[in-house]
Amino acid sequence: MVSLTINGKVVRAEEGEYLLAVIRRMGIDVPALCDHAAVEPYGGCRLCMVEITKESWDGWKNYVTACLYPAEQDLIVNTHSEKVIELRTSLLDLFLARNPETPLIQKLAADHGLTKTSFEVVPEPNDCILCGICTRVCDEMGFAAISMVNRGHGREVAPPLNEAPPDCVGCLACAQACPTNYIKFEDIGTTRKIWGREFELLTCEKTGRPTITREFAAFLSKHRDIPEEYFKVNDEAHRDELASTMGRITRWSVQEETK
Amino acid sequence: MKHDLSRVPEIIERYPQQPSSLIMVLQDIQKEFSYLPCEALEQTAAKLGVPLSKVFSVSTFYNAFSLNKKGDTVVRVCIGTACHIRGARQIQEQLETALKIQAGETTKDGKFTLEVVGCVGACAMAPVVLTNDRYHPQCKVNTVKKLVAKR
Repeated sequence: MVSLTINGKVVRAEEGEYLLAVIRRMGIDVPALCDHAAVEPYGGCRLCMVEITKESWDGWKNYVTACLYPAEQDLIVNTHSEKVIELRTSLLDLFLARNPETPLIQKLAADHGLTKTSFEVVPEPNDCILCGICTRVCDEMGFAAISMVNRGHGREVAPPLNEAPPDCVGCLACAQACPTNYIKFEDIGTTRKIWGREFELLTCEKTGRPTITREFAAFLSKHRDIPEEYFKVNDEAHRDELASTMGRITRWSVQEETK
Repeated sequence: MKHDLSRVPEIIERYPQQPSSLIMVLQDIQKEFSYLPCEALEQTAAKLGVPLSKVFSVSTFYNAFSLNKKGDTVVRVCIGTACHIRGARQIQEQLETALKIQAGETTKDGKFTLEVVGCVGACAMAPVVLTNDRYHPQCKVNTVKKLVAKR
């Protein structure tokens, strides 16, 4: 364990634990757009920038992304210093030029007193903030079906060769994790459309409702040791079964006690 | 345009069959075909054990790689600071007029590709134009067209 000071309060943290986690645990609100529980920290959005210093640094200060900076003994952190707010505001000004219509960005910007960007808005704005959560989640799932392509102002999330991604199984992890709902998909009956591909959804034997795609079920049973039987019913039916099993156990134990 | 892709496996096998060989393999493929054919990317991904999406990501990141076929002669106009102040933009315009294409495009006959690049590290020779790997120093607006004259 190490002890450090955050906004004037002495706190304890695991050595090597990232600052953002410690800050969040204290209930301090620091914006972060590329942070997601399912993936490793990325340092992409730069919004979680904080000011750090130490007694021994002779007044020298540094500005680091809290999501990637490990907690250290005697570190003094300021999450909302004047300079930090200024940095965050400039970043949001840039975000607003890229995503002027995105509610998440509009709200964060408004919190920092910005309603309009001081830069020129990009020609065709969309809701993608380039946080890379979708591509990283996809890597983490083991598919790596989509990735970041091009660079600079042409950077975007795309499937390989800009064609329907061969490695996609239609699990929807990317769309689920996207903080701005930029990734579009469509479920009609037992057909799922995403990234220009069409998948067939399995149907729950008990409720008759669609469950997951055939390809995803095949992947999970092959690589994650989940029996294929498990996908014959949906979560609802699983919960139903669990509830009735628990009910049976309770009734049985009551019987046992009254014997 | 059809290409002989039979040399691709041999190119891939020049390096250890592991993800870290990716850029070297792509460089050799680019050199061989003067662009990266899609089929070659797919073969590279499969052989090196890199997801196709990552191969595409790398191929689109570096300027050295091109997914479109480049001309036989790649004409690069340096627009770095020194060249810029010595009239690189006018040189670029002259070449665009002569080749009837914009920077970044390839002529229909596949002979020339025109590109603008940052600094090529020869500021003393500004303004500089490169044809493939050959440097042409102190280019002049009224003579630069000769570089792309039909040969």
